[in-house]
Amino acid sequence: MDRNKIGKWLKQPAKMANKYSLNAVYFCTGCGIIEIPPVITARWDAERFGIIPVATPRQGNLFMITGYVSLKTLRAIIRTYEQMPDPKYTVGFGSCPINGGMYWDSYNTIKHLDRYIPVDGWIAGCMPRPEAVFIGVTHLWTLIEKDMANGYLRYREHYDQYRGNQEKLLGKLDWPPLYATGIAQKEIAA
Amino acid sequence: MVATVAQCVLLPVLGIVIGLFFLGLYRKIMARLHWRYGPPLIQPVIDILRLFFQGGMSHGAVFDFGLVLSLAGAMAIILFIPFAQWCPLQGSGGMLVILYLMLLMPLGTALSGGEAANPNASIGISRKLILALGYEVPLLLILLSVMSYYSTISIVDIVRGQQASVWALFSWPLALPGIAYILILPAVLGVRPFDTTTAPQEISSGPLVEYGGKYLAFEHIIHALSLFLGISLFVNLFLGGAANPIVFFVKILVVFVACVCINAVFPRLRIEQAVSYLWKWPTAIAFLGLVVVSLVK
Amino acid sequence: MQIILLTSFGGAFATYLLAKISSRLRDVCAVIVSGLLVVFVALLYNKTPAATLIPSFVGAPLTVRLNMLSWFFAIAIVVVGFLSIVFSFSYIKGKERADFYYLMMLLVNAGMIGIVLSADLLTFYIFWEIMSWGAFLLISYNRGPALRAGMKYIVMSVIGSVVMLAGILSLYAVYETFVFSELAGRIASASPAYSLACASMLCIAFAIKNAVVPLHTWLPDAHSEAPAPFSAVLSGILIKMGTYGLILVLYLFVGVKLFISPTYVWRGFRFVLLVLASITILVPSFIAVMQNDAKKVLAWSSIAQAGYIILGITFGTTLGFAAGMFHFLNHATFKALLFFGIGAVEYRTKTRDLNSLGGLLKRMPITFIAVLVGTCGLIGIPLTNGFVSKWLLYKTLILEGSPFLAFIALIGTWGTILYGYKLLHHVFLGQLPEKYKNVRKAPASMQFVLIILSLAVVVLGILPGIPLKLINTIAVSMGMDSMNINIFGIASETGALNTVNILSVLAAAGIVVWIILKASKKSTRISQEDNYAAGAAIPAERYSYTVDFYNPLYRMIRRYLRDIFDEFYYWIAGRVQAFSDMVRRLYVGDVGCYAMYILLFLSALILSQVWWRVW
Repeated sequence: MDRNKIGKWLKQPAKMANKYSLNAVYFCTGCGIIEIPPVITARWDAERFGIIPVATPRQGNLFMITGYVSLKTLRAIIRTYEQMPDPKYTVGFGSCPINGGMYWDSYNTIKHLDRYIPVDGWIAGCMPRPEAVFIGVTHLWTLIEKDMANGYLRYREHYDQYRGNQEKLLGKLDWPPLYATGIAQKEIAA
Repeated sequence: MVATVAQCVLLPVLGIVIGLFFLGLYRKIMARLHWRYGPPLIQPVIDILRLFFQGGMSHGAVFDFGLVLSLAGAMAIILFIPFAQWCPLQGSGGMLVILYLMLLMPLGTALSGGEAANPNASIGISRKLILALGYEVPLLLILLSVMSYYSTISIVDIVRGQQASVWALFSWPLALPGIAYILILPAVLGVRPFDTTTAPQEISSGPLVEYGGKYLAFEHIIHALSLFLGISLFVNLFLGGAANPIVFFVKILVVFVACVCINAVFPRLRIEQAVSYLWKWPTAIAFLGLVVVSLVK
Repeated sequence: MQIILLTSFGGAFATYLLAKISSRLRDVCAVIVSGLLVVFVALLYNKTPAATLIPSFVGAPLTVRLNMLSWFFAIAIVVVGFLSIVFSFSYIKGKERADFYYLMMLLVNAGMIGIVLSADLLTFYIFWEIMSWGAFLLISYNRGPALRAGMKYIVMSVIGSVVMLAGILSLYAVYETFVFSELAGRIASASPAYSLACASMLCIAFAIKNAVVPLHTWLPDAHSEAPAPFSAVLSGILIKMGTYGLILVLYLFVGVKLFISPTYVWRGFRFVLLVLASITILVPSFIAVMQNDAKKVLAWSSIAQAGYIILGITFGTTLGFAAGMFHFLNHATFKALLFFGIGAVEYRTKTRDLNSLGGLLKRMPITFIAVLVGTCGLIGIPLTNGFVSKWLLYKTLILEGSPFLAFIALIGTWGTILYGYKLLHHVFLGQLPEKYKNVRKAPASMQFVLIILSLAVVVLGILPGIPLKLINTIAVSMGMDSMNINIFGIASETGALNTVNILSVLAAAGIVVWIILKASKKSTRISQEDNYAAGAAIPAERYSYTVDFYNPLYRMIRRYLRDIFDEFYYWIAGRVQAFSDMVRRLYVGDVGCYAMYILLFLSALILSQVWWRVW
């Protein structure tokens, strides 16, 4: 952990601030959320790394999806993700969001969350223990450090594709597109 | 003249620095009381830095204007409350101006939060205004008894009066309003158990529900300033102010730490419970204090 | 001065006559008349003319005069009158009986000018009646519930007039004069009981007009039912004619030295007035919080603000008097502004129901700014004029040893904050309902009025020295101490006020914060549909919180805030009606029945003669 290195703070303040102030929106879709209270309370105390839960997506920059994702919750997940300000990082928690987990053959559960929103990292396990969350966070720090946690940029770049996938699955969405569609293609072409 | 201008520039900065230090300390003390390690002291600064790099979403001109009004009001009040011997604007209206400028903070946030068009924000504002009415009843009685006791509306004169004799908290009859002030101090500061306004679990942090990025950073700074202001008002009125900045800082630090330690063990009150508490014992003591002061005078 | 009266009365009738030719001509004439009045009154600044209108009217001359006090009131009257006429253009266009409306507006205006100009009680009384009856006709202009409101107003007003007439006649019977200046010296030397009786009779009449608490019940209905421009006049200046009357009684007839002297009688009288004034501040402020009709909120707020004025004036120190007078001027500006603002909203949306409005900021920005400024003035945010007058009031209350009165006044301010924010939030902030998506901004004439009054609120708040100098002259002419006024406030040893410091600090801080806000990373502008709802879509029209806004507070205070006086008056009215009904039953309209009454009466006479030998 390089939180106390003043030289780094002066060199790249944005990156360092993003690393050490991860305010998390926990999207509690399933059983995974049961592991989060130990993470944020006295036993493991995530706050010492600057990770605290926040109440609304506007205030956070870390989006944690803790559990299986049904079609109905996917709407809310997309909506919440789009309401977070950039830069934002998404982490899938547990095996359900990765590949459906024990709901692998359910007609109503998403098997690939990263088709619909970009995901920066996964924490595997059913369910992962709190230690795994911290390992995930240190990995995320490394990714931020190396500019590899750029899901929000990917979302912007390939917004047409993501929106297409979303509409293919959910039908017509009842909110307007986040980015003007078509712009991304032009940028890529140029 | 140069000294006054220098104070006008430096005091708000100092206030923000101390306020942010208090925020960090608050989180650290709470963590330690929970038997946690807790975040570093500069965690609020890191948060604010991160929020400034995040941009944020605006709901329109009034959304911005309300915040600016709120923060500008908070910064302006600092110049009316003595920080040790420094009080650049002492001859501009005294306590009454402080009372009314303190309205700008909730009003600005209320305008801005109202423009966000979110019911959580509206409920939070409604609670904030009701809570403010709740603590304002004893607070006004307290301020009036101090002002009538010293026959002045200038806060500098009140501090001088105490430095000439004894701190108001330990003198008869001002001890009564002093005790009442201690009882309502957490409500004035808006910390536990009186943080119904921004309760994250019930109303998604109330007026702050739509704030993200730099707007939330501004709100953090306003909160920090309000902590600083509430405590320095108490220190000036009842603990005799201070002759030099270091003593003053130590005094506000002691009051703050005591306040946090006591209140960290209370759960959050519902708004009715908060108001009925504030209108019961603190008001009764403050009222008694005002009666005694008017009889003594 | 006769020209002013001639213009005002002649102009009113000329407007009515011209209206028969064309409505365009009528509007022009009304504006010219009210504009001319502003010019005439402004020209008479610092002059003290006096004249006799009619040498002998029922045995006494009708005289008029002008001094600083009446000039101060007159300028407020003509300016608000002018603005209300301008505002009426679009507001009244297309409504029926518009000619009559203009006639009455100008006539009420004229009546009020007459009141402040008159130099003797008889003239005063005549103009007072013109004003009262004109106001009655205007309040019931809208018909429907307005008729009932108007009836309530006129009944109370007539009772007040009768009491006042009794007081005037009693004074005339004793001193054989109506003239103010002659009465002034004599009452002071009369026996305390007599002067107290006269003073209270006049004060009751003025208190009814000024809506002091036990006599306030006409006001909430009348203010909310009257047409918006007249509500502004009614609240801004018409009820303040009661204040003018109180000043006449307390400061001129009784004399301020006697009034605040520690004599047993006057101490009691002053105490009663002060207590009534504080109740007038406290209770209506919180009743206003519970109203759901925008104009009802403002109406109750008018009662409360009038309480501040009465409190300042009856407190009797120079600062208190200055606070009362200045607050009169301020109330005329910001309350007129608020009524005009709400009037503009009502004109566009056809409703005053706070629970159904919302989000109009996006459609009527200028109106929002005007109402915001007005609300700030009402609350007394620094840099608006309401702050200065309240500051003066609190200062004198604290330093003269009445902290409890100061406490009540300050708590009243918190009530003001609650309903002021409620007004702003419900009308202008929050979600814009679908049905108001196409509301246009207010017409130009309305915006002109709103802008002028907003500027007045801010300018008087930053440069309070201008009116305070005037008030100081008035106070000195009434035998009070002088204040140490400078253009930005007050200098004194026990606490000075300096608005320029507050202004510069706030402006500097605001600019710095604004620059930081704009210079840091750019924010994205989002629409009201893009809002946090725990991931769900926003329900149209139903995602704002307005109904029962201060619900926990309502539950706590509702049962203490019944308008018991209103219920009591209704009870009396009901009793009187029942009694009259009983009497009416005697008159059945049957000749045989009447013949039997006569026979019964005669036989009773005969029997009494037979038994008791009466004659």
